Amino acid sequence: MKDEQTSIPTSKVQRATRFLKTGAKVGGNYLKHYGKKMFDSELSRDQLDNDNAADIYDSLSELKGSALKIAQMLSMDKNVLPTAYQDKFAMSQYSAPPLSYPLVVQTFRKYLGKTPDDLFETFTKNAVNAASIGQVHKATLDGKTLAVKIQYPGVADSISSDLKIVRPIASRMFKIGTAELEQYIGEVESKLIEETDYSLELKRSMEITGLCGHLEGIKFPTYYPELSSDRILVMDWINGLHIKEWLATNPSQEQKNEIGQRLWDFYDFQIHSLKQVHADPHPGNFMITDDNKLGIIDFGCVKEIPEDFYEQYFKLMKDDVLNPDYNLKDLFFELGFLSDKDTEKEKAFYLEIFTEMIELLGRPFRSKTFDFGDDTYFKQIFEVGDRVSKMKEIRNSKTARGNRHGLYINRTYFGLYNLLNELKAEVITS
Amino acid sequence: MEKAVKKKATKASLSAVAIMKAYKKHLLTEGSQPKSVFVFMEHLNEEEEEFYKYFSSFEAIDAELWKSFAERTIKAIKSDKAYNGYGAREKMLAFLFTLVEVLKKDRSYVKLTFKRPDKPELVPAWLRDFKKEFDAFSMEVIEEGIGSEEIVKRPILSERYYDGLWLQILFIISFWLKDTSKGFERTDAAIEKSANLSFELMGRGPLDLMLDFGKFLYQNR
Repeated sequence: MKDEQTSIPTSKVQRATRFLKTGAKVGGNYLKHYGKKMFDSELSRDQLDNDNAADIYDSLSELKGSALKIAQMLSMDKNVLPTAYQDKFAMSQYSAPPLSYPLVVQTFRKYLGKTPDDLFETFTKNAVNAASIGQVHKATLDGKTLAVKIQYPGVADSISSDLKIVRPIASRMFKIGTAELEQYIGEVESKLIEETDYSLELKRSMEITGLCGHLEGIKFPTYYPELSSDRILVMDWINGLHIKEWLATNPSQEQKNEIGQRLWDFYDFQIHSLKQVHADPHPGNFMITDDNKLGIIDFGCVKEIPEDFYEQYFKLMKDDVLNPDYNLKDLFFELGFLSDKDTEKEKAFYLEIFTEMIELLGRPFRSKTFDFGDDTYFKQIFEVGDRVSKMKEIRNSKTARGNRHGLYINRTYFGLYNLLNELKAEVITS
Repeated sequence: MEKAVKKKATKASLSAVAIMKAYKKHLLTEGSQPKSVFVFMEHLNEEEEEFYKYFSSFEAIDAELWKSFAERTIKAIKSDKAYNGYGAREKMLAFLFTLVEVLKKDRSYVKLTFKRPDKPELVPAWLRDFKKEFDAFSMEVIEEGIGSEEIVKRPILSERYYDGLWLQILFIISFWLKDTSKGFERTDAAIEKSANLSFELMGRGPLDLMLDFGKFLYQNR
């Protein structure tokens, strides 16, 4: 497991450098392009796009071995690639230099008609934090400390064009038909575009935090619609420690279980009652406050779960699916894990693999309590994932398996499992 | 009869502003300059010579209009409280962002008149006054940048910094004219990135180290 983990670029910095490399190359390609163009105005953009495509391909191939593998295994098909893209696009933003203060002022003028100095009592000239597609400034108003998130200009605009470059490479790289790839990329694209719409994020944040308000021990910031717009989002500043920092203060096992339980309940309530979920369980989005509450921010990525998908998907987590007389095959057909085009041999092969994975990944749901601190469980997940991704049947399969709605649900659970593992929490799961 | 017309005309005696306005309106509705000053003034029920009191040609009106863009921009940024606290880079950024906002009000006019010169060292007559204003501003900023060591004084090169900033502003205006993004967001990004690059280049950086190393090699060979 150790080896596996070191090969996975988990830290922001590591991933950022990876994409920085691509970024630098792509930037170089543009320079090369304009350099050549000065002497030869006939030069077409095709050469440029090809150069870019090749470099993005290189970087994605590197990811193929690590981040992708986990994602791959989790979504139980080989089409999790879009998750890798998503990281890629999110990460490529980390390499963007911070916005200059005049641009911050310009953004305020454009969207709110006033400067930060007009609106707030104090406003930090420099960003205090980088968000995935923007940056955060700290401000004060009427005795309250506020977090002001400002989006980089042009991000929303460039997503579709970036994905256009990547599409053909993806289809070559993973040998998947364009139509099948399309539904996954489409899912990711729509989520990415949603993430750039701060007005939508504001609406969702207020809605979900309102509906989750009764959950105990959880703290949400208050949002300020009158100070927000499409590119600016204002909320309370939450003081607290990130999970890693909090763990360094040596909390007791009871405290860890308590935080873990709150995290689990928060997700459980969203998925099963609200049918829409904060689909970005990134460690940076959680904070533990002085009074041991769990602070939760960032509702930029919310997945709404369609009813029929919900029914099918959570059947997988029930106790009885593993009984020998349960008709798993039909359920797999419904979920798209198996297809009519499969040969009998393929059907048998995938039935076995998916059954093994469901047993493993659904295990926390099949007992009353589950100890996420159990590293042997995670080790097993990595081993199975590793073995499956090396199978030539999987690598050469041309069919996409799984359901596009599963993409973000799997990502959510994967993130949640990881957070709980980091907390070493034992949680009441059912 | 003739007297009556003349009387009417003197009554409505045209100011420079009114001529500029009428000219701009003609340009925007017709898509081109009037055939001649005579035709133009006849439309305004005016004698041709009235025109020459203020302007020598249509190009002179264009020059005046462009100059006013620069003047309005500088006035707007200097009236912002935050401006005095800015460093050189931020002052230039503020100028560029504000200029685009100013030009936005007259985008159609800018689109009709702005043609990027084929040879950058040639400045067309209608852009000359605008350049004068901008050069004065950028020299002020450069000087301040040198004072605060944000910008490095280099032999020969530093006297040409403002030429670089001029090319940059031409690039930004033509980028903005081609920009199709919502709210011209891409132009904002273009301004930010290009100004950051030019100030990196004018600041102490690899360039100086390269020159220094080159000089060392040359002297020690």
